[in-house]
Amino acid sequence: MVQVVCSTIIEKPIEDVWALLRDFNGHDQWHPAIATSAIERSLPSDLVGCVRRFKLQDGGELREQLLTLSDVEQCFSYCLLDTPVPLFNYVAHVNLYPVTDGDQTFWQWKSRFTTPQGREDEMAKMVAQDIYEAGFEAIRTQLANG
Amino acid sequence: MARVYVSSVVSAPADKVWERVRDFNALPKWHPRIRESRIEEAHPSDKIGCIRNFQLQSGDTIREQLVGMSDHEYFFSYSMLEGPMPLWDYIATFRVTPVTDGDRAFVEWSAEFECDPANEDELVNGVGTNVFQGGFDALKRHFGG
Repeated sequence: MVQVVCSTIIEKPIEDVWALLRDFNGHDQWHPAIATSAIERSLPSDLVGCVRRFKLQDGGELREQLLTLSDVEQCFSYCLLDTPVPLFNYVAHVNLYPVTDGDQTFWQWKSRFTTPQGREDEMAKMVAQDIYEAGFEAIRTQLANG
Repeated sequence: MARVYVSSVVSAPADKVWERVRDFNALPKWHPRIRESRIEEAHPSDKIGCIRNFQLQSGDTIREQLVGMSDHEYFFSYSMLEGPMPLWDYIATFRVTPVTDGDRAFVEWSAEFECDPANEDELVNGVGTNVFQGGFDALKRHFGG
């Protein structure tokens, strides 16, 4: 089992960050790797169990299912169902926490997955950099410009 | 049930922050409101169940019991057995989490307790400001920011 944990501080209040992240169908609006997003069967994007279908910028497609979503704890988790890359048993968690002595947000994005032997480092680096850290930067830019 | 939650960002790696706070007997070393502390019955300060007995700068005495600690997740929890404040069933947790995109740490200090509703705002504010934020401010000064 490979584990990836990335985190950052966003210089905006947690309400602003959560407003962007909580829409499970809105990640194409800010994440640079994602071209389009749609929820299957026209379900609401905050219905636990709904499946989102991504088209990636590189043409690949993947499907992910929402497992948990909490407006109280400002977190959600999801798993990969179909993916063009060898990420198996992939479950990810996005957690936001307020920094109470500044109008900032601590954002942690982490996952566990399996992958063929020998590809652990490559997959961990791809997930950390291309998905999580690229997502941090995209949200930082979006909130700074908004 | 009253709740207090205070969090901050310290400009030091999580392992350095954890090293400074993990000793349950070390409050006088890093928290400006604590004058002296000892562990009762000479137990090791990381033995779950040990009791710290410490004096505030005000002269008041507080006894707190360590109820949980993890060097893997960088947190400890404790309950208050005796103290000058009109509250009971007090349980608090101090947690340090790495910020992976810089040499910083996210620190959280939270508590839950019971009290007379008439005192709740004052107690929540007192614990949150004087104890928790006061401790974070001292850590931030120590680590430079």
